Amino acid sequence: MPTVSECAILAHHQVAPGHLRLAVQCPKIARDARPGQFAMIQVSDSLYPFLRRPMSFERIFEDGVTFLYKVEGEGTRLLARLTPAQTVSVQGPLGNGWPLECGFKRHILVAGGIGVAPFPALAEKIKQVCGKMPEVVLGARSRDYLLCENDFRRMGCTVYVATDDGTAGKKASATQVLAELAPGPGTRLYACGPMAMMAATSLIAEQLGIDCQVSLEAQMACGTGACLGCVVEARRELEGEKMVRVCADGPVFNAATIDWDRHRVDYDR
Amino acid sequence: MLANVNLEINLGGLVMKNPVTVASGTFGYGEDYDKYFDISRLGALTTKSLTLKPRAGNKPPRLVETPAGMLNAIGLQNVGLDEYLAKKLPFLREKGVPIIANIYGYSPEEYAELAARLENAGAADAIEANLSCPNVHDARIARGAAFVAQDADKVALYTRTIRSATRLPLFVKLTPNVMNICEPALAAEQAGANAISLINTLLGMAIDPETRQPRLANIVGGLSGPAIRPVALKMVWDAARVLKVPVIGMGGICEAADAIQFFLAGATAVAVGSMSFRQPDAAARVIDGIEAYMKRHNVENIAGLVKGMRI
Ligand SMILES: Cc1cc2nc3c(=O)[nH]c(=O)nc-3n(C[C@H](O)[C@H](O)[C@H](O)COP(=O)(O)OP(=O)(O)OC[C@H]3O[C@@H](n4cnc5c(N)ncnc54)[C@H](O)[C@@H]3O)c2cc1C
Ligand SMILES: Cc1cc2nc3c(=O)[nH]c(=O)nc-3n(C[C@H](O)[C@H](O)[C@H](O)COP(=O)(O)O)c2cc1C
Ligand code: FES
Repeated sequence: MPTVSECAILAHHQVAPGHLRLAVQCPKIARDARPGQFAMIQVSDSLYPFLRRPMSFERIFEDGVTFLYKVEGEGTRLLARLTPAQTVSVQGPLGNGWPLECGFKRHILVAGGIGVAPFPALAEKIKQVCGKMPEVVLGARSRDYLLCENDFRRMGCTVYVATDDGTAGKKASATQVLAELAPGPGTRLYACGPMAMMAATSLIAEQLGIDCQVSLEAQMACGTGACLGCVVEARRELEGEKMVRVCADGPVFNAATIDWDRHRVDYDR
Repeated sequence: MLANVNLEINLGGLVMKNPVTVASGTFGYGEDYDKYFDISRLGALTTKSLTLKPRAGNKPPRLVETPAGMLNAIGLQNVGLDEYLAKKLPFLREKGVPIIANIYGYSPEEYAELAARLENAGAADAIEANLSCPNVHDARIARGAAFVAQDADKVALYTRTIRSATRLPLFVKLTPNVMNICEPALAAEQAGANAISLINTLLGMAIDPETRQPRLANIVGGLSGPAIRPVALKMVWDAARVLKVPVIGMGGICEAADAIQFFLAGATAVAVGSMSFRQPDAAARVIDGIEAYMKRHNVENIAGLVKGMRI
């Protein structure tokens, strides 16, 4: 059951330029939270900004969770100012998490930039429940913006790094590196990052005929399914309803159900 | 300080145990918010606009945040009447909360059919006719598309047609995008409306200066939230001075103090809208806050607040 909790801030640090990790104490939310679910965080006590900000659970502990976020605009700029002496209002857990099925031979996590945020909790869960180590493809602008690399390695994951400028790992896109990993039958892909990158990943999965799960983003108001503001278009032939809500029907979707045509731009060129 | 106060009201024939409902489209059909508070605490629950057939709504993006508020262009996505009756109504009836069914049609006859079928199915305790939805016209085709509620003659025609189809209390919801709110409000009253709902969203838009693209796929959307509260309050005040039927006030109500302002300006009931997005139990807090205010100010019933502004 989702709740709204006023949470103590346990830690709040910069982890890369313009990127922070926020740890909060929230036993009720943590108890119910699953990897891939998210929370709506109130960034200001005043009415501007008015809406809460959606953030994925980065890691889930017994009595708290962490968030990993990028300072984008006004809301995250205000969030970044909060200190451990303060509290923050967190609503969650919301949405459906990553599906967890141990039958797959390989689990490959494909992250673009801050899209890595919902993956540490997933990697931990796959390790714990399936006793298998996922492989992680980390895409970033440059070495300075690589997030969670050591966390994944510490868990025992094999990590493949791709940067736009070649300052770490391969000078390539995350999807190019993914293709080189030759995912075959029995592989499940999990992707989160810019829309175009997820569209490219879903295309690879489609061509290889393998399973692909994506975590989508959309502007949200309620986060609970009521306002119908956060929809994306589903493939007509698959879904009876044309629009699916990212907050309540997602944010994780089977890539095959999404109409990617709007988002397939020349990501890999 | 009073020990007991009475929050019950009679809203154009609908008896509510307190004067607080939720604004159509901000609360779905109640299930989502029942996780956060017992929705049977509401004086009434107003549904998302229902149409005869299901509607997919506008293309995304449908939302953009603006100073102290937000723009939406949902485009009346809804499950349609049949699915409402089959899937949404049982839960609401089980909760026992009075239902204000908000309806939208493409002709007076469609509204009338919706109202009649809702009444016959016992699926509503009152009807709110949304004559003011800004989001069902493609802004690229229908420039500055007119709403029914911008034309007092049309308001009269639509209201009369719906009136003749149902005996349920009939509320008419109007748009603030008019020169003089009293004209459509009086037209609705004279044609048989039992209450007037004010206000729907204000038309607005936002552009991304970097990409030069509109923030909403529909280009134009409806502004809601605390940003519109002063405008809504003024319109409630204007209309309540000329109407005999009660007014349901809405627009940026976030806490009890805001609701009190609407009563003082002339509203008999209030609806909490976009604030539920920020604070899921906002409506329950408003109910509690109104009660506390009445005790503190020695006001025994809601009538003691309505039109109570001291000038
Ligand atoms: C399910 C979900 C999970 C997310 N998880 C994370 C996460 O773990 N880490 C992280 O850094 N970001 C995450 N995001 C994106 C994050 O919510 C936005 O970056 C943030 O809302 C920006 O707010 P702002 O006020 O700083 O930016 P502004 O640009 O000032 O925001 C203006 C409005 O746009 C919305 N908005 C802006 N960018 C986005 C976006 N990319 N997605 C959705 N809404 C947006 C804001 O909520 C706000 O309403 C997630 C989004 C969703 C939908
Ligand atoms: C996301 C959203 C959807 C809405 N959908 C409807 C609707 O379907 N029918 C309707 O009559 N009004 C609709 N409205 C308008 C609200 O009911 C209300 O009149 C308006 O938002 C002002 O109140 P607020 O500022 O408290 O939100 C919608 C508003 C929002 C924000
Ligand atoms: S954000 Fe309101 S339905 Fe998804």
